[in-house]
Amino acid sequence: METKLKEPTVNELNQPLKGVSLWKDAWRRLKKNKLAIYGLVIVIIYAVLSLSASILPIYSYKRQVIEHQYLPPSITKTAGELLLEREESMMLAMARKMGRDQLNDQEKDKLEALRKKVETEAKEIGGKTVKVHERRYIFGTDPLGRDILARIIYGGQVSIAIGLIGTFTSVLIGIFMGALAGYLGGKTDYIITRIIDVMYGLPYMMLVIIMMALFGRNILNLFFALAIVSWLTVARVVRGQIISLKNSEFVEAARSVGASNFRIIFRHLVPNTLGIIVVFTTLRIPSFIMMESFLSFLGLGVQAPFASWGSLVSEGVEGMNLFPWRLFFPAIAMVIFLFSMNFLGDGLRDALDPQSKNKL
Amino acid sequence: MTKFIIRRFIGLIPTLFIIITISFFIVRIAPGGPFDKEKRLPPEILKNIEKKYHLDESLVKQYGRYLLDMARGDLGPSFAYPDHDVNFFIFHSLPKSILLGTMALGLSVILGIGTGMISALRQNKWQDYTAMSIAVFGITVPNFVVGPVLMYFLALKLGWLPTSGWITGRYGWSTIIMPVITLTLPYFAYMARLSRASILEVLRSDYIRTARAKGLGESVIMFKHVLKGALLPVVSYLGPAFAGIITGSVVVERIFRIPGLGQFFVQAAFNRDYTLLMGTVIVYSVILIIMNFIVDIIYGYLDPRISYS
Repeated sequence: METKLKEPTVNELNQPLKGVSLWKDAWRRLKKNKLAIYGLVIVIIYAVLSLSASILPIYSYKRQVIEHQYLPPSITKTAGELLLEREESMMLAMARKMGRDQLNDQEKDKLEALRKKVETEAKEIGGKTVKVHERRYIFGTDPLGRDILARIIYGGQVSIAIGLIGTFTSVLIGIFMGALAGYLGGKTDYIITRIIDVMYGLPYMMLVIIMMALFGRNILNLFFALAIVSWLTVARVVRGQIISLKNSEFVEAARSVGASNFRIIFRHLVPNTLGIIVVFTTLRIPSFIMMESFLSFLGLGVQAPFASWGSLVSEGVEGMNLFPWRLFFPAIAMVIFLFSMNFLGDGLRDALDPQSKNKL
Repeated sequence: MTKFIIRRFIGLIPTLFIIITISFFIVRIAPGGPFDKEKRLPPEILKNIEKKYHLDESLVKQYGRYLLDMARGDLGPSFAYPDHDVNFFIFHSLPKSILLGTMALGLSVILGIGTGMISALRQNKWQDYTAMSIAVFGITVPNFVVGPVLMYFLALKLGWLPTSGWITGRYGWSTIIMPVITLTLPYFAYMARLSRASILEVLRSDYIRTARAKGLGESVIMFKHVLKGALLPVVSYLGPAFAGIITGSVVVERIFRIPGLGQFFVQAAFNRDYTLLMGTVIVYSVILIIMNFIVDIIYGYLDPRISYS
C-alpha cells in the first residue's frame, strides 16, 4: 500500500488532465510484462551482435583451417592442445588394440613433432601472420575447420536480415492490397479477396519449394518467393480494419475538404491500423525466419559459404552422434531468438491491443 | 444441406484447375530442363528424348495434353526415373505420408482440445501453466530442430527407439513414434492455446450460467454446451493446420528417412522432373482441398448461423 501513496491520485478532479498517446500507453503496459522485456533485451543483443559481426573479435566464418576439423567446443583449451589430446588418445587406442599399454618411441616422436608444429606454426590469414593453433573455439568447429561461433553469428545476420526484410516486404504488400480492397470496395475488393482465398487454399510452401528449386537458390529469389506467399494474412487484417474505419467521421471530414483516395488511405486510415500491423510484424518475423530455415534445411535456401541458422542445423544433423555441438549450438542460438521474438510479440499485442480476441 | 455440399464440391474444381495451371507454368517457365545434366547429351539424342516426352511441342499444346492425360488418371512417365511412371511412385509413397499426416492431425486435435480444456478449467493453476509452457515451446521450436534433437537423445544416446525406418520394417510401429511426435507438437500447441482461449470465453457466457443455474452437471455443461461453441475456432484452424502438417511432413520424412511423398517431391524439384513434381503437387493440393471441404462441412454443421444459400 505504501507505493500507492507516492503516486498522485488520478481520479481527483483537481488533477490536470494529460493526454496519453497510444504508444506511450502501450510502452507503459509493455514495461509491466517481464517476459516481453527480457525478449526485447535479448532481441537487441542479437541485433547488436549480428550488426557488429565484422568488428567483433571472432574468426572468419568462411576461412577453412583443415587441420582443425571437428574440434569439440572448449573455453580453456586452445585448438593446438585439443589437437594434441585427440592425437594422443587415438594413438593410445591404437596401441591398446595391439596389446600395448603405452606408446612406443616412434609414436612419442610423432607426438613431439606435432607439439612443435602446434607451438610454432603460423599461417597468413587476412594479411597477418597468426599462430593458428592458439585459436580457441568455444563452440567447436565444423568438418572444414571453420569456427562454429562465427558461423552462428554470421548465420544470425543472414537469418535476421531475411526475417526483417521479408516481413517488411510482405507487410507492405499486405497493407497496400488490404487497404485498396477495404477502402475501394466493390469489384476491387471482390477480386482481391478472391485472390487471397484461392492462394490460401494453395499449398504455398510447396510453390516456394518449387520456385527455389527451379529458379536458382539465391537470397533474392528467397525473398521474392517468401514475400509473394506471405502477404495474405496482413491484407486480410488490414482490409477488415479499414472497412470498420472507413465510415467514421474523420474520414468523412477528410473527404469533405477534398482529400484524394490515396491520401485518405495512406495518411488517415493506415496510420490508425498501425498498432495491429506492428503486432503482426513482430509475430511474423519468427515465422519468416522459420520458413527460411525450413528451406535452408531442405538445401534450398542460403548456399555456402554463407550460412543461416537453418543451414547450420541441417549441416549439424549429419554426424550428430559424434559431433553433437554442431547441431546443438546453432539450434540453441536459433531457438532462444525465436522465443524472445515470440514473447516480445505477445507482449506487444497485449500492450497495443488489450482486448484482442485473435490470441494466435 | 445436401445442396450446399454439392455446390461446395463443384466449387472445388476451379480451385484445382487454378493450382494445376499455376504449377504447370511455374515449372515450365523456369530455365533449364530435366535433361540438362553435367554430361551434355548429343543434340540428336536430346531431340529424340524430347520428342518421346512431347517436350518439343508448344507449351499450350503440352498443357492441353497434360490436362487430357490427367482427366484419364494418368500423370505421365517420370523423367528422372524412366523405369516407372508417376502413378507408381505416388501409389507407393502416398500411404506412408497419409498415415503420418492423419496420425499427427488426429493426435494434435485430441490432445490439443483435451489440454485446452484442462487449462481452461484449471485457469492460473499449475496445470494451466505447465500446459501453456509446453504449448509455447511447441509453437516456437521448429520441427527440424525438434526432430534431430529427439533422435539424438531417444535413439542415439538412450537407444530406446530406432533412428529411422518404417512400420513395415524390422522395428515395426516403434519407428513411427518420433516422426509423429515431431509433426504433432506445433499443431498440438496451437490447438491447445486456441481451445483454451475459446473455452474460457464460452465459460463466461450467459448460457453457461443458465445451464449452471438449472443445476446441470459439470460434465454435461462441458461436453454438451461449452465444447460445441468453443470448437468453432479450432475447427476453422484445421485447414491451415493440415496444410502445415503436409509441409512439415516434407521435413520430417527427410529427417527420419521415410520414403513418403515429401521425399519424392523434394527430389523431383531438384531433378526438375516435371511430371513427378506436378504429380506430387496435384496430390498434395487434392488432399488439402478435400480437407478444407470437410472442414467447411463440419463448420456448417457446428454453427447453425452459417447460411447454406
